[in-house]
Amino acid sequence: MPDHVFRLPDLGEGLTEAQLITWRVTEGQQVEINAPLCEVETAKAVVVVPSPWAGTIAHLHAQPGQSVPVGNPLVTIRSTTAAGTEEAPRRGVLVGYGPEATPESGIRRRSRSVPAPAAPGPEDVRAAPFVRQRARELGVDLARVTGTGPGGRVTRSDVEGAAQAPPVDADGDRRISVVGIRKAIARQMLRSITTIPQFTEFAVFDATRLLADRERRKQAGQSVTPLPYFVRAVVRATRDHPMLNSTWDEAHDEIVIKRAIHVGLAVNTSAGLLVPVLRDADQLDLAQIAARASELIAGARAGSLPPRDMTGSTITVTNVGASGPVETGTPIINPPECCVVGFGAIRPRPMVIDGQVVARPGAWISISVDHRIVDGALATEFLTTLVRYLEEPDA
Amino acid sequence: MAQLNPEGTLPPAVAIEEAGLDRARLVDLYRWMVVIRRADAEALNLQRQGELGLWGQFLGQEAAQVGATLALHPDDWIFPSYREFGMGMCRGIDPAAMLYLFRGLTHGGWDPASHHFAPLAIPVASQVLHAVGYALGCKFDHSSQVVLACFGDGATSEGDWHEGMNFAGVFKCPVVFLCQNNHWAISVPLEKQTAGRIAERAAGYGFPGVRIDGNDVLTVYAVVRAAAERARRGDGPTLIEAVTYRMGAHSSADDPTRYRSDDQLAAWSPRDPIVRYEAWLLAEGHLDDARAGAIRAEADAVAQTMRTKLVNAPVPPPSEVLFDRVYTSPSRTFQAERDEFAATLEPSE
Repeated sequence: MPDHVFRLPDLGEGLTEAQLITWRVTEGQQVEINAPLCEVETAKAVVVVPSPWAGTIAHLHAQPGQSVPVGNPLVTIRSTTAAGTEEAPRRGVLVGYGPEATPESGIRRRSRSVPAPAAPGPEDVRAAPFVRQRARELGVDLARVTGTGPGGRVTRSDVEGAAQAPPVDADGDRRISVVGIRKAIARQMLRSITTIPQFTEFAVFDATRLLADRERRKQAGQSVTPLPYFVRAVVRATRDHPMLNSTWDEAHDEIVIKRAIHVGLAVNTSAGLLVPVLRDADQLDLAQIAARASELIAGARAGSLPPRDMTGSTITVTNVGASGPVETGTPIINPPECCVVGFGAIRPRPMVIDGQVVARPGAWISISVDHRIVDGALATEFLTTLVRYLEEPDA
Repeated sequence: MAQLNPEGTLPPAVAIEEAGLDRARLVDLYRWMVVIRRADAEALNLQRQGELGLWGQFLGQEAAQVGATLALHPDDWIFPSYREFGMGMCRGIDPAAMLYLFRGLTHGGWDPASHHFAPLAIPVASQVLHAVGYALGCKFDHSSQVVLACFGDGATSEGDWHEGMNFAGVFKCPVVFLCQNNHWAISVPLEKQTAGRIAERAAGYGFPGVRIDGNDVLTVYAVVRAAAERARRGDGPTLIEAVTYRMGAHSSADDPTRYRSDDQLAAWSPRDPIVRYEAWLLAEGHLDDARAGAIRAEADAVAQTMRTKLVNAPVPPPSEVLFDRVYTSPSRTFQAERDEFAATLEPSE
């Protein structure tokens, strides 16, 4: 009663992996041919994988939630079929299993005896079109990769391995492949600057009463940063000027004014800029905003936020120059939103009060808005309202 | 046009005998539907087990495939799309051999001439041109053969389809166009791809079109038979729109739950072509439970034999698969390419 290993097949024309959703069998269980073994989710579909053999489940090789590469063991089945009455269980021969060390067909590709040219260009390297494409995506120079496949062929893992270490050009320039969050930021920012005609306005506000309120809360045992005040002021100003909480619907030539106010919080993380979303911010008071914002910021830095907390913002708040000498900047709109608000650091500044120059705590605000939706007059009204809410936080 | 209703009862006006259906033939229609559905399910399992690269189910379309195939003379030609596996089985082709294509072992798998069944056409609607061309040849030869061109609703959006239809109308080719309208072109629903009724387009090409219940095997049989006889008499083509439903996915690489509602699927379930026909056969006394059980057992055996033969199929040398079935007399360049390829291979010790 031999053990047979069932390897994860390519379930959908060129897939490389699948995520195990759930087992439908347990170790020790008897199964018939075509009995459902497990459910897996590929990039294309959720499918039920049926057993190729009758027998006893000897070992489950993966846990639910785990990603299994195509060709890796999924389950070991102890066959109950008497020898000789049925075909010997065999390994699949199809795409996705990769090159074989001992092919069943009795034929294998012979390594080329032609000596490699001294300085091969990319066209002289042996690599499949898919691998070449992957190399282009990752910015890997194929000529600099040592192939480990049959006959020195460069494989996908060779390319991905080479992409780990930033390669150095012939003239010493370093090239860094753009992947993941950096790539997403690049795409989003390019979309903003190429599709949204945006302009920026600036103001300085007096933070005296904001800091006083903050001090009062501190005395009462509630410690808050300026950020919740900024968020609450933006929410209030947005409620007064709903046009800023909108999106331009290119397909229909329509402006869509959003009912909900979901505030995006631009957060600097080690992986890059992330924008977790404080949903329904208009339903929260200052303390709730503070609590939720710290959860979101910590989650973004830990990389533990679910997609729901990372999408769907209707207006975004960002910090400009929270440290260092920088006062303000021109934030770029987070598409498809209409407005982004940048806050600088609160510092003592010279202000003219009743004709006298006095030192007061203050900070710069900058807003960038979509000029298709908002003209300068409305932007100024919004900014004025925003300054009023910041200067009268206890109003 | 519908005859058998969903409860499996038949209006009394339909003359079964006129359609050339005796009891043995009636049971045969049922038997084939059960057998091809079982083989279809086995093929999907084989794909999930890594034994096939791809599979396109035809679950729900058995009546259209069986009814149309059995309505033809054995030497009438069928030009199938990739979903007409069931028709090939009805023509006596070894189902395992038909699966070799989906295992990457061959580009064909059977001798089209001996089964009068052309290779499965993967490019959508390309087979319509082949069918019409063959039908024109039948006409030139004064042959009594007719041709069945098979395609889905999506294919009717293709230029090839229009060219074939137009040409067949102009030259009165002996061809029957069978559209299995299963409502889906992969994930595109019929209403997003076709504004009018498919059958009505035939008028524009100068021949009749008829829209029928494609889940009623008796209707399909009777209408295809009548259309084939019309073509055989020299009266030209007919377009048949057999309205059916793709109960499964477009292919094993597709997940229909992403684009269609359970409600739609549930609405079609009562119209399952096998369930309703079985109900009618049992009620009329043409079939009993013992015979039905024997047919199901036969279907299981066919599936098991198909599985065993498929997984043990020898793997042909790569050069044979790639080169040897392309030209009857290969050009020098082609031979050089084959030799160059062969030189990169070596037998294992």
